[in-house]
Amino acid sequence: MNDFYCVITFHTTQEALAFEKIFKEFGFSIKLMPVPRQISSSCGLSAKIPCEKKEKILEICEEKKLEFDKFHKIVRKERKSWLLNHIKKTTQNNE
Amino acid sequence: MKENKKIFIYGGIIGLIGAILMKLGNPGNMGICVACFYRDIAGALGLHRAEVVQYIRPEIIGFIFGGVLAAILGGEFKSRGGSSPIIRFVLAIFLMFGALVFLGCPLRMILRLANGDLNAIFGLLGYLLGIYIGIHFLKKGYSLGQSTKQTKVSSYIIPTFSILLLLLLLIKPSFIFFSTEGPGSMKAPVLIALSLGLISGFILQRSRICTAGGFRDAILIKDYHFLWGILGIFIFNLIGNLVLNFDSFQISFANQPVAHTNHLWNFLGMVLTGICSILLGGCPLRQTILASEGDSDAGITILGLIVGAAFAHNFQIASSPEGVTPNGKLAVIIGLIVVILIGNSVVKNVLKERRKKEEVM
Repeated sequence: MNDFYCVITFHTTQEALAFEKIFKEFGFSIKLMPVPRQISSSCGLSAKIPCEKKEKILEICEEKKLEFDKFHKIVRKERKSWLLNHIKKTTQNNE
Repeated sequence: MKENKKIFIYGGIIGLIGAILMKLGNPGNMGICVACFYRDIAGALGLHRAEVVQYIRPEIIGFIFGGVLAAILGGEFKSRGGSSPIIRFVLAIFLMFGALVFLGCPLRMILRLANGDLNAIFGLLGYLLGIYIGIHFLKKGYSLGQSTKQTKVSSYIIPTFSILLLLLLLIKPSFIFFSTEGPGSMKAPVLIALSLGLISGFILQRSRICTAGGFRDAILIKDYHFLWGILGIFIFNLIGNLVLNFDSFQISFANQPVAHTNHLWNFLGMVLTGICSILLGGCPLRQTILASEGDSDAGITILGLIVGAAFAHNFQIASSPEGVTPNGKLAVIIGLIVVILIGNSVVKNVLKERRKKEEVM
């Protein structure tokens, strides 16, 4: 299971829509979504992108003069619940 | 998926709180109504003299306290602003006109629906059309400009305002007005309203629930995350009402509390509110939370809502259960024209700036 994913954030909605349009034409799997809560308390749009394509995507943005705000790699945090951690630890020990 | 479940439950808590506050004394289908509550505050401060809607609603103070607290704990309390404040102020005034012609902010529209008020269906349809029109501007490049870091004291203004409101509520000086009859006199006990408001504010800051954002994302990018929050509000409020407020639960158009049955103006009022919410980047509820995070653009928006509410009652724009007023109709029409002109003008300006930039490059 992936424990991280990558998103690009934008200044405006239109930037996000332009980004999606261009990269869909290039055949990238892009999904527009709300900015992940971990990186912002705002409720703007971001684009989920394949992390391994980061360099290529940034290159195309430069070439096509596509504007965006920032690139983010988001690591999904381990569950903080002590109970689940405890169960996990015990099962690991038993193994 | 897990995230959607979380926001659904967060929304659910807001819905339940709505039902509880109604049970404890808030007006009918108005457990929470952000627009009405700012209107009541405007009345209490003497900005309008509609005697039946004057009260310093502790829920609003609680929202701000909760928002500040959650933002500080999350390291998200930041002073920012400077994104076309005067346009926001004007949009907020018209947002309030639309809401008070309909009789409720988008949140109360959902709560009205959840207690069987079918008039809110026309409000919802109008709100959706308004959001659709707003999206049209977003697609064309509408933006009020990036907000920038502001001096620290800007971020303290709205929280200080809320503390001041709390003091006025508790001290009750003679220059503050409290309704003795009508919706303004119907209220949940102060401490409970304040605490439930605080819990709501905290949850709203964490979850970023926004009635405009939920529909916007669903229409614009087919993302339903925030819509789950709205659904949570509706379903849990419905359940809460069936359990706590069964006496008042009634599926009908007629005889609904603080509502009128003029479908066209219920619809058009919320079209105006929907457009304004999208052009402002959030509904009144969301603006309240953003303001408590230190966003002074949202702060200006709140002040615009309060001023808009005062105008709405001073100029006989606000509806009453008897129906819509001629001035209300006129205000909605003028509002629609003005906000569409604002949207167009902003888009034109963005395109012009972009062309200029491209020429330089």
